[in-house]
Amino acid sequence: MSLISPADQDKLREAFNEMTSRVRLLFFTQTLGCETCLQTRQILDELPPLSDKIAIEEVNLVLEGEKAKQYGVDRVPAIAVVGEDGAGAPGVIDRGAGAPGVIKDSRIRFLGTPAGYEFISLIQAVLLVGGRKPSLTDANRQRLAAVNTPLTLQVFTTPT
Amino acid sequence: MAFVSPNITTYAVEATEFPDLARKYQVTGVPKTVVNDQVEILGALPQDAYIEQALSVLSPAASEPEHETKR
Repeated sequence: MSLISPADQDKLREAFNEMTSRVRLLFFTQTLGCETCLQTRQILDELPPLSDKIAIEEVNLVLEGEKAKQYGVDRVPAIAVVGEDGAGAPGVIDRGAGAPGVIKDSRIRFLGTPAGYEFISLIQAVLLVGGRKPSLTDANRQRLAAVNTPLTLQVFTTPT
Repeated sequence: MAFVSPNITTYAVEATEFPDLARKYQVTGVPKTVVNDQVEILGALPQDAYIEQALSVLSPAASEPEHETKR
């Protein structure tokens, strides 16, 4: 049984239809000691059937620690939203590391189960990386693009 | 924000699942944003004010004439 109602599935399918490039969700998990990993996987599994532009890749925090580190992930469940394919979305900046032109890390991460409002945020991130125009004003986009030292934002939320 | 700058990384953290992080950053209300472990932004702000505060971590004091956020 699906976690998403048929009506919402239709809405999502429609939104995903606008995507111009592929998005891969790296799902960081571990086998033991993660109460919410299964639930997170179940939520993520709802998405690929709604769009051929969305794929899920599971990364085991313990077995693939190096990869987790590369994405700045040290706890689970976590999700990294990355752009896929070379002819990618305008505005995505290749990080340089890794396979050039194949994976473009958006540096957008989710820690914890993407339920409730976090689910909406995840969908927004997928659409953004999938090619939708950012909601930032031009002035703000320029200010941010000029940032030349590392800036890490942690946004705390609770399920609603 | 992360999407437009290669130097910016964002984490949406589910506070109840990671009480250690919530405790470390003294999260008593949400949304709460912590920038580079230094600047805290409480609540949801309009885009301009939010970015202003987030970037304030990069320019300690001084250079902030017009965009002063009123609280």
